[in-house]
Amino acid sequence: MALIEMEKATFAYDDQPVFKDIDLQVDEGDIFCLFGPNGCGKSTLIHCLLGIARLNSGTVRLCGKDINKMKREEIARVLAYIPQLHEKPFPFKVIDVVLMGRASHKGFFSTPKASDLAVAEEALAKVGLLKYKDRPYTQISGGETQLVLVARALAQKTPVLVMDEPTSHLDFRNELKFLETIAQLAEETRITVIMATHFPNHAFYFETGNSKTKIALMNNQRFTVQGSPSEVLNEANMLQTFNIKSAVVNFPWESGHVKQIVPLKTL
Amino acid sequence: MKKKILYLFLILGPLLVVLGSLFIGRYPLTFADVFQVLGYKLGFSNIAVPEAVHVNVAWDIRLPRAILGALVGASLAASGASLQGLFRNPLVNSGILGVSSGAGFGASLAIILFDNRTFYVYLFAFVFGILAVALAYTIGLHYKTTPTIMLVLGGVIVSSIFSSLISLLKYIADPYEELPSIVFWLMGSLATARFKDILISAIPMIAGMAGLAAMRWRINILSMGDDEAQALGVNVLFAKGLAIFFSTLATTGAVCVSGVIGWVGLVIPHIGRMLVGNDNIVLIPTSISLGACYLVLVDNLARTLTGAEIPLGILTSLIGAPFFIYLLKRTKAGGW
Repeated sequence: MALIEMEKATFAYDDQPVFKDIDLQVDEGDIFCLFGPNGCGKSTLIHCLLGIARLNSGTVRLCGKDINKMKREEIARVLAYIPQLHEKPFPFKVIDVVLMGRASHKGFFSTPKASDLAVAEEALAKVGLLKYKDRPYTQISGGETQLVLVARALAQKTPVLVMDEPTSHLDFRNELKFLETIAQLAEETRITVIMATHFPNHAFYFETGNSKTKIALMNNQRFTVQGSPSEVLNEANMLQTFNIKSAVVNFPWESGHVKQIVPLKTL
Repeated sequence: MKKKILYLFLILGPLLVVLGSLFIGRYPLTFADVFQVLGYKLGFSNIAVPEAVHVNVAWDIRLPRAILGALVGASLAASGASLQGLFRNPLVNSGILGVSSGAGFGASLAIILFDNRTFYVYLFAFVFGILAVALAYTIGLHYKTTPTIMLVLGGVIVSSIFSSLISLLKYIADPYEELPSIVFWLMGSLATARFKDILISAIPMIAGMAGLAAMRWRINILSMGDDEAQALGVNVLFAKGLAIFFSTLATTGAVCVSGVIGWVGLVIPHIGRMLVGNDNIVLIPTSISLGACYLVLVDNLARTLTGAEIPLGILTSLIGAPFFIYLLKRTKAGGW
């Protein structure tokens, strides 16, 4: 049984179709990348997976269960979400933000207990930010904020992390740091990752370290190709999807080799 | 440990302020007088019967007024802090969903229809306060969600409708009896407070505050925004609705006995944020305690500052607004 399944998923805003008849399957330990042009519906698809938006037709099953029959806290015990951009309405302490990940494990009128604090601190330690636990999270950088949100998701203790373009506001180093953290988590904890991204090289990055990396190319309201990054990310597919000329390059690094796709020219 | 000391202060503060206000006023009472009255009324048998006028001043007038002030201040501050979290905006106050205008309209209507009979004024203020919020909420309800912006607009619309209706009532009211009553009610005051007033209005106020205090951690999570709160496992529609329900109970309970008292729901949570931070787990109890102290203190000023009593709502605004400017300057508009 697949951890997450989508079948004939169709979604439209009023009469504006976003995607049609999408089938998707994610198994335990997969790193599943969603890749496609702006406005192709990646975020909407992710919202449908999380149950924040509802499909017009088709089904989403989490651990075999129909999402429409699950309560919010049940969904939140399977999927943890890391948003693209997080607005900070109040200068909460870092640890308070991470503690919020415990909500789905607690009763409505409860407050977090010492055991929750321990889980939150452990999660914060995993992303290497335990030292900031008592800082207001308005005073940490964008890269650190994104890692705090990863820690919050880890405190949720779910088998799956769902991320929507998590690095789009990060600088060069923080982007790499973020990818390293996720790759390490995936390796250590066998956590499953679903990630929408604008950067095909993220998929190559994960593929180098994890053989279970998959990528789906989303365009014109459907998945045009699915497979491993090496299968999907090639010059022909980039030409078809983005109408650009590109080149896949291989270069040796450390004991193995690294693959990247380089955009060259718009057509 | 640190938390325990904080909570001790939060409980002791309002008790001391309420006790202290028994000594304050035109009629001088000594320490011994007050404790004689308290001891006697609380049923200690070995205490001599106090003078009737002492009982009257301390027990029948000052004490209920102070207790009611504490409850009103606490309710307004608690709902202010909660709604700020809910609306993800620290500049929101307890009246954002139209409670005050709704209650004001209800009270004015009762003053005209029932010759200013206290019971009806309470009842109408309460019912219309709730009704106003229910209306604003219905306007804000949008495809099974309640986006913040829609709720705010709902509140603006409802407030404006009820404000016009209040003006209409003022216009048609009898200018010698009813109009002054309406105007005084809208200014806010605790001057008529007696124990029986507390008995009626304490129920919604305490129920509302207890509900908000119980769900205070959920308010943290709601402040992350609808999408994130849902992904964290919170049923946002239900949790928001419940928070609005509790804060409306608290605010309406307060407004219907005290009239319109501004700024408490805005300034007190801000002071709380400066003192203990933004975590609602601590902030909401702190706001309750500070709100209670603040309103009792301001009410003591209201009744002693000048020969005639100053309406409380005027003083809370006169003190609250400049103080708020100071807070904003000190905290660089929102950094706390």
